[in-house]
Amino acid sequence: MPIIVNLDVMMAKRKISLNDLSEKVGLTLSNLSILKTGKAKAIRFSTLDAICKVLDCQPADILEYKAEE
Amino acid sequence: MLIIKTNVMKISTKQMLAILLGISWVIFVGVCIEAGGFICNAFFTLVLNPVGARHFWQEVNLSNLYWYNHGCFFAETLLICIVAVMRAYLFYLIIKILHNKKLDMLQPFNPEVERFILNISRVSLLIGLVSWIGATYTFWLVKQGVAMPDLQHLRLAGADVWLFMGVTLFVIGQIFKRGVEIQTENDLTI
Repeated sequence: MPIIVNLDVMMAKRKISLNDLSEKVGLTLSNLSILKTGKAKAIRFSTLDAICKVLDCQPADILEYKAEE
Repeated sequence: MLIIKTNVMKISTKQMLAILLGISWVIFVGVCIEAGGFICNAFFTLVLNPVGARHFWQEVNLSNLYWYNHGCFFAETLLICIVAVMRAYLFYLIIKILHNKKLDMLQPFNPEVERFILNISRVSLLIGLVSWIGATYTFWLVKQGVAMPDLQHLRLAGADVWLFMGVTLFVIGQIFKRGVEIQTENDLTI
């Protein structure tokens, strides 16, 4: 898929662990892991809102579009 | 004022599935015995002793067909055996899914159920097709002057019902296929 999830990059920048993020965002670890590994098919606005709030970033910092060659 | 208390007995889905599993086992044993009987009698008649054709199965007397033509007898019994074995296989599939408890009511649209529905639709279509061929062949034999038992006794009747069931299940299977896709998408929506 040409949409890339850069959640791990933002987490590294904010020095936050997956456990902490899961607790603060209110998502299960397995769901967060699905999102981080790029297996997710879709993301809710509410989830994106919560993640951006906790990581203090913009949606574009988490999601990136790369055209397939 | 008269108050009438009623105790309404509720049967849960789990209990219903357990009852269906029991019934399926009984039918499966029955159709297996029937299929085994057909195969053994056909083999016995063709290889060992032609007297087996007279008492082929319950009311079925195929001695006229046997003495008319051995090849026709073989073809007719082959069709009967295929239908009987496919019926047994159909109930095996039903028992398998009920026994393995793959019918998850919390997530009904799973690939296992989709595969099950498409499989039984294929088996039903095949039974319908072979039954129809068998029935047509029996009518042709009757036209040739061979006294044949009733289609009901030959277990070749109801081809149209099998075909209808097969087509209906195929449509349901396709709907399930889409349902599985939607459920997978929903599961992977974070």
